[in-house]
Amino acid sequence: MEKFDILKKIVKECSEKLGIAEYELYYSESSGIRAETFRDEISAFSSSVGGDLLYRCIVNGKLGYASTQYLDESEMEKLVARAAENASVIEKDEEAIIYGGAAPEAYRKVPECKFTMPSAAFIRERAMKNRNLLYAADGQIADGTASGASAGQSRTFLFNSNGLDLSSFTGSEGEFFRVVLDNGEEKQTGGEYLPNGFEKSDDERTEKIEKAIKEARAKFGAGTVKTGKYNIVFKNDQMEAILSTFLSAFYADNVQKGLSQLKGKLGEQIASDCITITDDPFAEDNTVQVPFDGEGVPTYCKNVVENGVLKTYLYNLMTAKKDGVETTGNASRGSASIGTRVYTFYINKGEMTREELLKKAGNGIYVTGMKGFHAGANAVTGDFSIESEGFLLENGEIGAPVKSFTVAGNFFELLKQITDLDNELDFGGPGGTRIVAPDALVPGMSVAGE
Amino acid sequence: MITKALLEEVLAKAMSTGADFAEIFVENTRSNSIYMIDGRVDSITDNTIAGVGIRALLGVRCVSASTIDLSREGLLRCAEQVADVIGDHPTALDIHLTERIFPDIHAVKIVPDTAKKATKIDLLKAGYFAAKNYSDDISQVSANLLDVDHNILIANSDGLYTEDRQIRTRMGVSAIASRGGETQSGGMSPGRRMGLEVFDLFPPEEIGKEAARHALVNLSAGYCPAGKMPVAIENGFGGVIFHEACGHSLEATSVAKNTSQMAGKLGQKIANEKVTAIDDGTIPNGWGSINIDDEGTPSQRKVLIDKGVLKSYMIDKLNGRRMGMQENGSSRRQSFAHSPTSRMTNTFIAPGEDKNEDIIASIEYGLYAKKMGGGSVNPISGAFNFAVSEAYIIRNGKICEPVRAASLIGTGSEILQNIDMVGSDMQTGQGMCGSASGSIPTDVGQPLIRVSEITVGGR
Repeated sequence: MEKFDILKKIVKECSEKLGIAEYELYYSESSGIRAETFRDEISAFSSSVGGDLLYRCIVNGKLGYASTQYLDESEMEKLVARAAENASVIEKDEEAIIYGGAAPEAYRKVPECKFTMPSAAFIRERAMKNRNLLYAADGQIADGTASGASAGQSRTFLFNSNGLDLSSFTGSEGEFFRVVLDNGEEKQTGGEYLPNGFEKSDDERTEKIEKAIKEARAKFGAGTVKTGKYNIVFKNDQMEAILSTFLSAFYADNVQKGLSQLKGKLGEQIASDCITITDDPFAEDNTVQVPFDGEGVPTYCKNVVENGVLKTYLYNLMTAKKDGVETTGNASRGSASIGTRVYTFYINKGEMTREELLKKAGNGIYVTGMKGFHAGANAVTGDFSIESEGFLLENGEIGAPVKSFTVAGNFFELLKQITDLDNELDFGGPGGTRIVAPDALVPGMSVAGE
Repeated sequence: MITKALLEEVLAKAMSTGADFAEIFVENTRSNSIYMIDGRVDSITDNTIAGVGIRALLGVRCVSASTIDLSREGLLRCAEQVADVIGDHPTALDIHLTERIFPDIHAVKIVPDTAKKATKIDLLKAGYFAAKNYSDDISQVSANLLDVDHNILIANSDGLYTEDRQIRTRMGVSAIASRGGETQSGGMSPGRRMGLEVFDLFPPEEIGKEAARHALVNLSAGYCPAGKMPVAIENGFGGVIFHEACGHSLEATSVAKNTSQMAGKLGQKIANEKVTAIDDGTIPNGWGSINIDDEGTPSQRKVLIDKGVLKSYMIDKLNGRRMGMQENGSSRRQSFAHSPTSRMTNTFIAPGEDKNEDIIASIEYGLYAKKMGGGSVNPISGAFNFAVSEAYIIRNGKICEPVRAASLIGTGSEILQNIDMVGSDMQTGQGMCGSASGSIPTDVGQPLIRVSEITVGGR
């Protein structure tokens, strides 16, 4: 991009003027377009052009950061000066590192992304077509039912004084279907997402819509459960929500700062034998393939937990240096620090079918919805107590819907309590970071209800 | 910056295909945060957020676009995108903007963005080390000092041209307590719409000590029992119960689309007569206060529920059109890149007449929820949840041992009827509320209240 080349040159001059030898410029620009329906028309349409210019530099051995959205040439001098000033008050004594780069062959070649942004008219039309499919699908469709279509692309540039000059481009599109059913007594909701769907057939859309309607309908007339201990099967998306909530325990940064219960557990059994967790930057179904991380380090696929044994934490350059190991290429680029991220982070599937898993659970609850993880879970201690809904399990069969109960436990105990996983993984979804898990059976969990 | 003449040109462009209203929102925000952990200054966040959001309405159709390209070409392109989608009747309009200045009722003494970093670091360290040195069981502390200088300019096709500068300062201290392999956490994070003088109200040492005390209480707590029971919820951030259980359902965002359990219930009794609830954006220096909302409408004090009867919703321009009602200063957006919609400001249950000691004494067996975490709600069903971060068992009218890791769940309509005692000492607590138009500062508040029965999710 021409603009970035100009900014690079100015930032180089400004840095050198202040005697800064090591610095890095990271620019991500994104644009997106989105339409959503309400009743029989487009209710909201938005398009955006955004971008963040992140700069960091080393002054007296400390890293300072600053960012801006003004891409003026005159702003660059301020940006560099702010970062340099910020470096001067940093007290942490870890060695400041700006990556020197790897051999070109260390970066995995990913297929070139050929995405082109669809037009506003196309997105609008797509959303309306979906809206018509939705309203034709069921007689109980009520206000709040909506469909939408969206597309977005982003471009990332990383340039530093140590010779690194990388860029990447990704784009994706998707459609969503949100169903509100009203049976005269109550309203229930269901939702489905169709990734990269614009070239797909209406049959696939209808299938998604029917799934969303089925989800909403099944919740009608939900009863309550008595407080007590139950065998719980977490549906895949709920297991994914649990894993996302406690994911940060695997970050070396949190381990080193005493904010993870996995401290000192490398090589130890932290989960049941059936649990293997993998982090893959190149997962086949993910439209966003990530050959370099937030520091410009080449990425690769690794097992974090293997048959229940903790194999590695997730590292960036700084945290790896502290532990005397190699980085795992999991750096994220924040506006004020290098953090940690995952790519497609998933619990490998088990051997049972869903039916076999439910059969093994026998009597209990199939948990299909959980809400409020941001408040009802503590990522440091692992404790959680979460508002849930689902279905009774009776002799392994899915029975009546139930709601208004909480499931409580501790994530680190849960990892050891899981006895079985089913053999289905759903990698479909919006591109980018994805947390994926199969259905999981946990016997004897605490449930609060009536 | 962008001249008035250019704003007029951009608005005319957005209106050029037949929109009946257009608006431009110009933002320039400086955001600073100093973060400490391991006893040292770990990182400094220093961001400039700048861009423009353009919105056009045609009846209840809404089209918006945002850009960081502030050149004339960039702005006109952005307006053209809006015009392309909103309508198809070529219209030429001459827009004339007249400046309006609304009084600033939120005095700021020390503008944080201009203070020395060393001054701010000293304040932060005072809070940090007050927590760290509180007890040998405090194994880790993290703390941050955040200041935001949010400048907005709003111009619209009705001729409005106005500006506001919103300065907010907040310190958060989070403490981890560990003993014999057990780890628990506690925290405190007060803030106000004011400058560094906020720390005269909240001395950093007290913030740090409170975070440490909180973590230590939880370290000595057993798990909370599960089941239905009466709960006394303390003032301050306890008000999150009203925010989640009812506040979101009163936002026109969901009411206008008939997806709120509170739609169509104006004038009806929806809560216990002990409950009067207010959303007030005009509290001087309140965390959620605004002089004008993000559409340029002056902020208001709205009685939402008066002695149990639903009196008012929170309404923005677009949803006001859907409902046939006037906007009331409730339109808010995180940034230029978000479309505004109706949101809360400072929302609280008004003081009642019950005595705190009577409330506790009335409970034979139940929970005293002293501190709350956050929560969430589904406005369609009204099902809500929120976390209790410090709690004690009440036995025979007395507060007994601490318990931890509890959550409270229920539905809004049910809980509003069950609030059957309301104390007199109203306090607020600060939060960041995430919803349709992004993350915005909101205050919650209440006196001590009793909920006669609610599901407590313990283990």
